[in-house]
Amino acid sequence: MKRWATEYVEVLQSAVESLRANPLRSLLTSLGVMIGVAFVSLMGWALRSLDAAWEATLSSLGSDMLYVDKWNWAGGGNWRLLMNRKNITIDQAEEVARRLQSADMVYISADSWGRTIVHADQRASGVVIEGTMAIFGMLPSTNVAEGRFFTEMEERNATAVAVIGDGIRSTLFGNRSPIGQVIRIEGRPFRIVGVMEKRGTLFTDFLDRMVYIPLPAFFGLYGRYSRSMTIAAKAQSPDQLDALRDELTGIMRAVRKLAPNAENDFSINEAQVFRDQVANIRAVIWGVGIGLTALSFLVGVIGITNVMFVAVVERTKEIGIRRAVGARRSSILVQFLCEAMMLCVAGAVVGVIVCSALVAVLALALRESAAFLLPLLPAEIVLVAVVISIAVGIIAGFVPALRAARLDPVEALRYEA
Amino acid sequence: MTTQPLIVLEGITKHYRMGDEIVQALRGIDLQINPNEYVAIMGPSGSGKSTLMNILGCLDWPTSGRYVLDGVDVSQLDDAALAAIRNRKIGFVFQTFNLLPRATALKNVELPLIYAGVPPQQRRQRAIAALESVGLGDRLRHKPPELSGGQRQRVAIARALVTEPSLILADEPTGNLDSKTGEEIMQLFERIWREGNTVLLVTHEDDIARHARRIIRIRDGRVESDHINPTPHVVEPIEQQQ
Repeated sequence: MKRWATEYVEVLQSAVESLRANPLRSLLTSLGVMIGVAFVSLMGWALRSLDAAWEATLSSLGSDMLYVDKWNWAGGGNWRLLMNRKNITIDQAEEVARRLQSADMVYISADSWGRTIVHADQRASGVVIEGTMAIFGMLPSTNVAEGRFFTEMEERNATAVAVIGDGIRSTLFGNRSPIGQVIRIEGRPFRIVGVMEKRGTLFTDFLDRMVYIPLPAFFGLYGRYSRSMTIAAKAQSPDQLDALRDELTGIMRAVRKLAPNAENDFSINEAQVFRDQVANIRAVIWGVGIGLTALSFLVGVIGITNVMFVAVVERTKEIGIRRAVGARRSSILVQFLCEAMMLCVAGAVVGVIVCSALVAVLALALRESAAFLLPLLPAEIVLVAVVISIAVGIIAGFVPALRAARLDPVEALRYEA
Repeated sequence: MTTQPLIVLEGITKHYRMGDEIVQALRGIDLQINPNEYVAIMGPSGSGKSTLMNILGCLDWPTSGRYVLDGVDVSQLDDAALAAIRNRKIGFVFQTFNLLPRATALKNVELPLIYAGVPPQQRRQRAIAALESVGLGDRLRHKPPELSGGQRQRVAIARALVTEPSLILADEPTGNLDSKTGEEIMQLFERIWREGNTVLLVTHEDDIARHARRIIRIRDGRVESDHINPTPHVVEPIEQQQ
């Protein structure tokens, strides 16, 4: 056992030395593996970032929340059909909220998209004005970074106060504190009482462009019946969602006075609707990633096999010498396998380093627009990449190594390059 | 006390297939060599002496016949067992030195010990000792291209000696050296022999063979003559440098 260990330590050293003897060739040879490892790492990183984005979406929208809306968030269904749905009026919404029994919490909100708001000479456009209730501020998924959410009193009195999203804060105020400052929405002054935590994700980037104002104040700006309401209901626990959905559907149908055979003229949305989107993106990343990875490893295997064949011929004499002083066939086999493996591992290491740098730079550069990107390659992905590259080395090196091991020592010693 | 012969060859033949023809390189060799003999095997090219050397060196198998080395019948051993025999019992010295060009002298001498599984520290000590014994204690870190021909051959001799083999097998050891350097190498072999080793020179040069105490001539795959050298050319060995 010990004898083998001694021998293989030396084999590894000599593998490293022979790579260093031909650095350029080693580099070029392992290019395929390098790129393959890069693809694996980037794929793993992208998937992991996607998962993180998905988690963040779930927690920002609340995995135990249902949103009754005229619109289907997932974008499914016939758009024209949705367009023709009647608005959910505030009266209907209030009726639903009144009747609903199984919900932990209910609130009603209304949105106005694509508004422009002004502070002094600064403007922010593409803003979503949301009229909502003070209860929204009490949800576990609602986190106010600075200041406070508006109160029930402010809600009832239609006080002109606003809580702004993180994106708006940075557009209008930079690093200054916006608390107490006044913004103008549709020309009317609103005093900022709070700033939301950054909560936009890959799927819900608009969340950071929102301004929350009391629902009555919203009606003051846009009128009571101009917009369709959203009814948000929180289940007592995530496994109560189905019961809550059933109850909501029943109440909505009753309140909307639908005939028994009529289709629902509303949608019940939840954070899970983004799951299909996640699955689609995931499938694309996998498909593209696996394809490119397989291709690069194939190129890598061919290149390494080729170079190993050349190396075996070049080093025929060395093989003869080693055999003469006592190397067994298996020693020669292992030596050349190790070299092929080292080539691959070296390629993998370079690939991982380059990717880490790339990922760090990307995550830093896109930290505003794509905060869900992880700044580091996931460790187990790196491990997988290295293991795959070792396997590639063994596959690529096996036939050349076998040829080396089978050389007749007498012939090999006689060989002159 | 009768000494057991180091080498016993009985009816060794070796046939090669070259295209359609069968070449009979060895046609029945019988030989005995005792420990601590100094033997030269001579013969013109094509005589079969290289084939014989390959078999004696356990690099090749005889087609038929028996080869007992140091009490072990090696003619039936498999490749791995022969590799072990080469490693432990035989030290090769080649005409073209056959050193690993990118490895230091020390590393080259360590090589057989690596395959013998000697732990690194001990390996290093023994390799250094072997290099010192051939007068290259100050060339440990040099690589073959940085050494002269004579120095390279001495590295090769150190490599042959480092495993303390039963048999030093030297194939035209001075063939690539000028005569003065060749003479120095022969002094070294003289000393190695006097220290108790068995030295077997394979050569076609009388100048080299005359150093040996016994000369075996091979012709057409058979032993042509086998006699004690009545007038060995004794070169007084240079003192071991420490």
